[in-house]
Amino acid sequence: MLSAVTKRFPGVVALDGVDLAVHAGRVHALVGENGAGKSTLLKIVAGAYAADAGTLALDGVPRHFSAPREALSAGVTVIYQELSLVPQLSAEANIFLGMEPARHGVLDRRRAAAEARDALASLGADFDPATPAAELSIAEQQLVELARALARDARLIAMDEPTAALSHVETERLFAQIRRLCSRGIAVVFVSHRLEEIRRIADDVTVLRDGRRVFSGLAAQVDDAALIRHMVGRDVEYARQAPAAPVPGSPLLEVAGLSRGRGFARVSLVVRRGEIVGLAGLVGAGRTEVARCIAGADAYDAGTMTLAGAPYRPASPREAIARGVVYLPEDRKTQGLVLGMSVRENVTLATLPQFSPWGVVRPAAEREAAARQTGAVELRPPDIERETGTLSGGNQQKVVLAKWLLADADLLIFDEPTRGVDVAAKAELHHLIRTLADAGKAILVISSELPEVLALADRIVVMREGSVAGEMAGEGATAEAVLALALPASNAA
Amino acid sequence: MKAPRAARFGVPLVLAGLVLVAGVLIPGFMSRANLTTILLHVSINGIIALGSTFVIITAGIDLSVGSLVGLAGVLTAATLTSGAVLRLLGPAGAAVAAGLVGIAAGAAVGLLNGGIVARLGVAPFIVTLATMTAARGAARLVTGGVPIGFPDPGDPLYAPKIAALDALHTVGGGRIPVPGLPTGFPVPALVMLALVAAGAFVLVRTRFGRHVYAVGGNEEASRLSGVAVGKVKLGTYAISGGCAGLAAVLLVGQLRSGGPDAGMLYELNAIAAAVIGGTSLFGGIGTAWGALTGALLIGVLNNALDLLGVQSFWQEIAKGVIILLAVLFDVWMKRADARRRARAGRV
Repeated sequence: MLSAVTKRFPGVVALDGVDLAVHAGRVHALVGENGAGKSTLLKIVAGAYAADAGTLALDGVPRHFSAPREALSAGVTVIYQELSLVPQLSAEANIFLGMEPARHGVLDRRRAAAEARDALASLGADFDPATPAAELSIAEQQLVELARALARDARLIAMDEPTAALSHVETERLFAQIRRLCSRGIAVVFVSHRLEEIRRIADDVTVLRDGRRVFSGLAAQVDDAALIRHMVGRDVEYARQAPAAPVPGSPLLEVAGLSRGRGFARVSLVVRRGEIVGLAGLVGAGRTEVARCIAGADAYDAGTMTLAGAPYRPASPREAIARGVVYLPEDRKTQGLVLGMSVRENVTLATLPQFSPWGVVRPAAEREAAARQTGAVELRPPDIERETGTLSGGNQQKVVLAKWLLADADLLIFDEPTRGVDVAAKAELHHLIRTLADAGKAILVISSELPEVLALADRIVVMREGSVAGEMAGEGATAEAVLALALPASNAA
Repeated sequence: MKAPRAARFGVPLVLAGLVLVAGVLIPGFMSRANLTTILLHVSINGIIALGSTFVIITAGIDLSVGSLVGLAGVLTAATLTSGAVLRLLGPAGAAVAAGLVGIAAGAAVGLLNGGIVARLGVAPFIVTLATMTAARGAARLVTGGVPIGFPDPGDPLYAPKIAALDALHTVGGGRIPVPGLPTGFPVPALVMLALVAAGAFVLVRTRFGRHVYAVGGNEEASRLSGVAVGKVKLGTYAISGGCAGLAAVLLVGQLRSGGPDAGMLYELNAIAAAVIGGTSLFGGIGTAWGALTGALLIGVLNNALDLLGVQSFWQEIAKGVIILLAVLFDVWMKRADARRRARAGRV
């Protein structure tokens, strides 16, 4: 149905000539690592994004959706992971949202109620259609989304990780509904990280990697090992940044049994001085949540932390910084930088008291420090008065790094340090991070890019669904081994 | 953070143009007496706008300042004419005490605003709307609805009360003799200029000022950088309230009376001055000089239309148009900036 679809974002090719053929009455699984292009592909199918090249055909007829509305009326429904129901409206109102049956603008409530009840009943739902969506469980909300698709006479339903938040029983029920949809001739696209589920529900499977289709075929003809190999086999490799000297043994940060609500539970890990620990895992595994708690940005419910042998329980980033723990957030633009401020003002933001005795900033001292640190990270151009928002991603990350170098922290937590950064700047940042470790800093690096973790880490801690799934030495670790730990076990297992 | 070019050059240019045109067209506009009158009329709004600018740079808003002028004003007048205070401190001492009470009352309500905004995370619009309503009510409650000021002729403390009102009047309505200025230079205008200079210093040169811009530019990034976001917000609301309190003191001095309905709608005039002066309601952008320029622009416009004999209703319409033009000009300059930037490319 899709052929040679290409989607470019500034600086990145998210999809590069991807073909995808989905057949009526069959389940087509779409798998791939974080950032492989699955979500982008679904959004193009849904009409939310426009493809830069390539065509989309429905029953052999080329179609062009310029808005989700057009895709919906053509019978294409995409159910996103973050369900798109209006929480205050009833299940019934959600089902007909945007296509309410009405006579002269007045809602035909009786007809809507009857049709909603029928659609929900055909999916085996047993709740009242008048229930507000907010009061329904995730599984029930999914049924509402499916009912919405049925009410629109959908011929293709794409679901993005529908089982991620479901229990074992709910998953079973969803699978039964998916099979029923197929028996009615509806084509289903199913995105999941759980290989076991793909095995059970999918007829066909397509693997995406770095925006390209690397495999497509019958699910029955490919085993798990081959799927993982297809998912990780990379063209991109980074030079491994080996430590200058063997890592000494003194632990700087010890985390024991850290838990926070539904984010993560009983996470324990150690970071030593001079060591880079990689925190790997899929998006949503709880890595950022753990990092934010260590950095004092969020509160945690249980567990203890020790920093340099003393108890450590930061109530705010301010306290963490005072103890020498700094966090470089995954989203530079919204969390790392004040984009409207100059490079100088950003670099000195966390350490302003150093340059402002009695609260009055001393411009010469501030300029000198900003120039020194931006020089250390090789900011280009080395213009400290430039507005930060006008810099490229790599240079912005260097500004964040310069800010924290100035703070002279002991533990630096990098969350996706090279996201949206070009390849040359990535290598530079990797080198800088290793230089810091060699200077005796403790480093924790979160990255969704496995080659990055493999290139940097002395030790890799793998998280899966809010817990630590395992740990391995960085030297000699393989992407396959990390991914095997990171992929969630099936609910059905 | 630098203000966009619109605020740095555009509004001062518009102001200069307006002064020039008015000077040529309107006889008497350029007279020294008229120019000092404009400064005097602008000073109350300028001082309140300066405080509002601090709040608006943090992406907040303070609607309570107008009511605070009323509340702080009646408290100032009540202190000034209180028998106990007069007996204890004498007329001059009572004037000093009354001034401090007015400023403290404004700052206290400002702290309350800031505390609720920072600690409880309630939207500033709602918080200050509530204190705006409550402060006005409190002002009327204190006075029973009538202004406090001139004593009855039969008042046993008539003479000291008049002396105290006169003492405060030397600040609120006084003139400093300046050679070449037959009427002297109005004290409130001097206070405003000194405050704007101090405000500019705080915003540009101090750690607190830097943090004000940072919080408004990106609150989350500031928090993660260890900036005490709550304290910064608290400080800006206290400054805003304190400025309103000071404005109230000057107003009581000028009028020799404190009325519960004084300062009605002053909050909107202050916000208008700040916005015309280039302060962004989205936060992160604004200057102390901008508040002054904005207040001056409104003042010059009012004065020119007055001299031309234009009805006050038309003046209001003109003010509305100017506000809209200022904001449109800002948007237009930002677009031009963005285009320039796109051509230059990112590095």
